[in-house]
Amino acid sequence: MTVVVGWTADARGRAALVQGAHVARLRGQELVVVNATTGTAVVDDRFAGASALEEVRRLLASLGVDAEVRQPVVRDVTEALLEVADEVRATVLVIGLRHRSPVGKLIMGSTAQRILLDARCPVLAVKAEEPAR
Amino acid sequence: MEALLEGLGMALQPENLVYAVVGVLLGTAVGVLPGIGPAMTVALLLPVTYNVSPSAALIMFAGIYYGGMYGGSTTSILLNTPGESSSVITALEGNKMAKTGRAAQALATAAIGSFVAGTISTVLLVALAPTVAEWVVVLGAPSYFALMVLALIAVTSVLGSSKLRGFISLALGLTIGLVGTATGQARLTFDNPLLADGIDIVVVAVAIFAVGEALWVAAHLRRRPLEVIPVGRPWMDREDWRRSWKPWLRGTAFGFPFGALPAGGAEMPTFLSYITERRLAGRHRAEFGKGAIEGVAGPEAANNASAAGTLVPLLAIGLPTTATAAVILAAMQGYGLQPGPQLFEAEPELVWTLLGSLFVANTLLLVINLPMAPLWARLLRIPRPYLYAGILFFAVLGAYSVNFQWFDVALLGLFGALGFAMRRFGLPVLPLIVGVILGPRLEEQLGQALQLSQGDVSALWGEPVAVVVYVVIAALLLGPLVLRLIPGRQEPEQLEDEIGALEDEVRS
Amino acid sequence: MSTAGGAATPSGVIAPEGTATRVDPGPDRAQYGLAAVLAVIGAWTVVDSAGLGPGFADQAVRPAAFGYVIGSALVLLAVLLAVATARGDRAEGEAGEDVDLDRGTDWRTLAGLAGVLVATVALIDWLGWAVVGALLFAGAATVLGNRHWVRNLLIGAVLSVASWYGFYVGLGIPIPPGVLDGVL
Repeated sequence: MTVVVGWTADARGRAALVQGAHVARLRGQELVVVNATTGTAVVDDRFAGASALEEVRRLLASLGVDAEVRQPVVRDVTEALLEVADEVRATVLVIGLRHRSPVGKLIMGSTAQRILLDARCPVLAVKAEEPAR
Repeated sequence: MEALLEGLGMALQPENLVYAVVGVLLGTAVGVLPGIGPAMTVALLLPVTYNVSPSAALIMFAGIYYGGMYGGSTTSILLNTPGESSSVITALEGNKMAKTGRAAQALATAAIGSFVAGTISTVLLVALAPTVAEWVVVLGAPSYFALMVLALIAVTSVLGSSKLRGFISLALGLTIGLVGTATGQARLTFDNPLLADGIDIVVVAVAIFAVGEALWVAAHLRRRPLEVIPVGRPWMDREDWRRSWKPWLRGTAFGFPFGALPAGGAEMPTFLSYITERRLAGRHRAEFGKGAIEGVAGPEAANNASAAGTLVPLLAIGLPTTATAAVILAAMQGYGLQPGPQLFEAEPELVWTLLGSLFVANTLLLVINLPMAPLWARLLRIPRPYLYAGILFFAVLGAYSVNFQWFDVALLGLFGALGFAMRRFGLPVLPLIVGVILGPRLEEQLGQALQLSQGDVSALWGEPVAVVVYVVIAALLLGPLVLRLIPGRQEPEQLEDEIGALEDEVRS
Repeated sequence: MSTAGGAATPSGVIAPEGTATRVDPGPDRAQYGLAAVLAVIGAWTVVDSAGLGPGFADQAVRPAAFGYVIGSALVLLAVLLAVATARGDRAEGEAGEDVDLDRGTDWRTLAGLAGVLVATVALIDWLGWAVVGALLFAGAATVLGNRHWVRNLLIGAVLSVASWYGFYVGLGIPIPPGVLDGVL
């Protein structure tokens, strides 16, 4: 029984992580943080480097949650996340959302949408705190 | 001198200036992007430039060559990915500097050092190349033949780790050069009329450099993303300047001669510059290995100076000693220009415009690139699928635009597979390309030499220069063997070991 | 699709996989294949040269001469390579700036790219550059791992049409329009 968080090293990833940590602590369950990358760019901003990783560990420690952080290099980030969820028999999968324009949705496709449709466990979607407009 | 000023004037004309800017920007971009180098870029641009004036194209290529050297240092410092052997040493101290928050200074000393070294070397080039050309022009076919053999042997046996693999690559290149009916009879054409004119060097160069590399990277596509060190605008304080200027000059002194020698390469001089700086560092010696600015300034200057140095044999004798120089040579042949001594007599305006544009390119690099370093680092976020799909796209376009035939695209695929295999088996690329280019010319010169002597083979060593060159070749081939036989004299191996150790240190 | 390209590593361990396979791998068998190919090319070059005529009277170097020399050199090098391989010589793949040799060769991607290239060769004369170029870019990008094929096609189409016009109008290189004759 585990809480799985799809984490990216940005604002929405952080929102999802914090939410996931709270859920895990409330339920008294383990937390698995997945930070996957396709590894197709030399530099991937959403893939956590050493300093970001350290910061997250500190954050989780301060929240009092014991977590496992995985950083797989995979063909497809969405599938990798779903696979981890299956593997650890997740009770809930926490993901971060970002705002998308209609055109953006059409061209880019949506990771979140595929997760919502394909996940075999409940999905908790969190939005990053957006700066006031 | 007057000719040079005229050349500078030509280079500063708006049209030429635009080509120089494009070349410099493109060169820096491909230098920054891992996996793409100046040789591949120039090869991909070959078909495009056939309809541009030769001087414009050459100005652009020179900009790409210099820019590529510069861009490589940026990734070495910010990412610690020394891809080309010439920037391994830069990564050694440069990346350490970046990690301790001195990325801006490391980039600045690399950029300014490149400028200083490039400018001094270009002055040397201007002084030296015409003299060498004058000296070479009186040589007869036998000497010229000997020089070409020297170039082939040098790029094959001096560079690279395995001589056997070097010669395999060379033989393959010469075989490709055989194809066609240049001798009046169809050789290796498989009775295919499409092969009668030989295999277009554009197709071979694009296939080996672009398609082969794209396939090779595709086979090792996924890897952990690297962390790029954020950096602002490069700058140096007074202390950095004081510590940098001597290494710049010493680096130049190492780099230029090594570049000008056949197959001197950029690896040796950067390494020599590094150990020299470490030895001379005095009270800063303790900083070496932890980010000493001298260790960036010297090697960066050396590697740029050697780039300028390679233009001496290219322009004055028509001998390419690096991959990029080889592709530029192919471009010149595509224009019907014969690089070498004749070029200075037949096309003085072109030569001097090119030389003038080297100064312009150097200055542009400094002026444009110093403020743009953070922007260049952003290029690293381009996903490889787009990068390499784009390379394949332009490679096919280039091959197709030669004759508008599917056959050329098929050849492109075939040689692309060869390029992949060469990378898989560790066969060096340079001997193959040089073999394809020089093979037919070698045959031509041999024919001329023997025709003049009416078939008397001894004419081949009838000229004193030819004899000297053959002695040098013998020394190149037998030297390492002899050195190994003398006990206690194993410096070359020692040097190689030390370079290997340094490379391991950087990669770990 | 399963865990192709790297399974989940426990708690952020930063180490590439596949490094453990470096223990005495035996002779590099593929190098025998390379040697065989070299020998065949060399032998064919010699045979081809043997079939050539004596050349013109003023040709001091017979057209066959270079073929003989290079062909036999290739055969000799092939033998040397085979011997070196048998004695334990291993090829060291080119470790480029963007290549991580610790990971195995990704044959699936390679096969996909080869397929895209073959299709390009087969279709280019018929469909013309503007169409084939777009397919080439989209196909290659998709095979290389970018799943957004609609976007890939759009980019490819823009690139190929722009490059067609660029070559035709800008550089004066008349690339045949293919099936889009009259449209472009």
